[in-house]
Amino acid sequence: MLLMFDDKHKNHLSFLLDIDIAVLQEFCKISLEFIKKGANPKVYQGAAQKLSVPAETVQNGVEGLMYLLTESSKLMISEIDFQDSILTLGFREDMQRELLALYLTHRREVRAILSEMAMDVPHYHNLEWRLDVQLASRALQRQITPIVTMKLQTKDGEDMMSHVLQTDPVNLVHLTKVLDEALQEIKSPYCRRIFRNIK
Amino acid sequence: RFRFCGDLDCPDWVLAEISTLSKITSVKMKLLCVQVIKMLLGQDIDYNKVYKITADAKFEEGDVKACIAALNFIIASASKYGVDEDSLSNELLQLGLPKEHTTSLGKSYGDSLHKLQDQFKKDSLKLTQLESVEWRVDYIISSSLLKDINEPCVQLKMNVKSTKSEKVEPVSFTASADKFRVFLNELKQASSMMDSLTSS
Repeated sequence: MLLMFDDKHKNHLSFLLDIDIAVLQEFCKISLEFIKKGANPKVYQGAAQKLSVPAETVQNGVEGLMYLLTESSKLMISEIDFQDSILTLGFREDMQRELLALYLTHRREVRAILSEMAMDVPHYHNLEWRLDVQLASRALQRQITPIVTMKLQTKDGEDMMSHVLQTDPVNLVHLTKVLDEALQEIKSPYCRRIFRNIK
Repeated sequence: RFRFCGDLDCPDWVLAEISTLSKITSVKMKLLCVQVIKMLLGQDIDYNKVYKITADAKFEEGDVKACIAALNFIIASASKYGVDEDSLSNELLQLGLPKEHTTSLGKSYGDSLHKLQDQFKKDSLKLTQLESVEWRVDYIISSSLLKDINEPCVQLKMNVKSTKSEKVEPVSFTASADKFRVFLNELKQASSMMDSLTSS
């Protein structure tokens, strides 16, 4: 599968065609940092001054390189496809090798970062529990009622929500039994057949 | 089957980490224990010290994290079930940790067992907590509806720390003399019941 580049993208990357290989390596590092941590405008200023081009060209170059990297990692294209795709852009031999090496070494890492960006439901973060015995209330004194109080914390990206739940022990036993059955379902022959076919 | 796991089986990952823990010397093990106990007592762990301790054994980052996690589990779970240091050392010996390591771990654990249990008691799940109470008694002379009222009333403000946000929020209300008497009576009943339980 070949990557298709639109004209604006080719324009941005054209700036990178005639620079030194050392500068290209610098740009590769900057794009990786961009993917991992976000844009850093000060670096663009410094690079623009050294190469005596406007900062915007530098930024476009870095973003173009970053887009190239993320698209190729997303589609998990093979080496040959990657080389053919960048051939159309007009890079020199050594720069092609450099870009290929960059793609192969960092492919897994970029994929890991991309996988975290998928949409998600809130998932489990923490569960604290407490076993109490209710001895009296305003309405009825001299009682003995065991109660389990739980605080379930779920995390959805950045937000944390906490839910306070109460149950009696019988209910809790039933809950654990149902959840256990759900886990056992993974070991059933039906699920095993599906896992084998996915692999 | 192990007391420090609460009479359950020891988790597989802890068994796997015992062999990683055996690679460092027992002196370094004791220093690591001290760091982990500091973390359990609520202070921040100093990763630079940890890296220096594990530098000799050439641990990777994953190994360091695994060691800390395993020690964390062992010490926290042992103090949770109130295991004394000798039984803990014996059980760790059975799991395969070398003798010098178990004795040094047992000693640091035994020294801080009470502190850990106190800290865990404080950290146990609490729902909303009462931080403080403020009150004021006013005397209402008259109002727009009635010319002569001449009644006392009390205003109460309770500062409550909520479960979800760790913020202290005020809950305030006003009560007339009769209502407040009922309120006070109920609270006194609850208080006497709590006293009878704490003394017995």
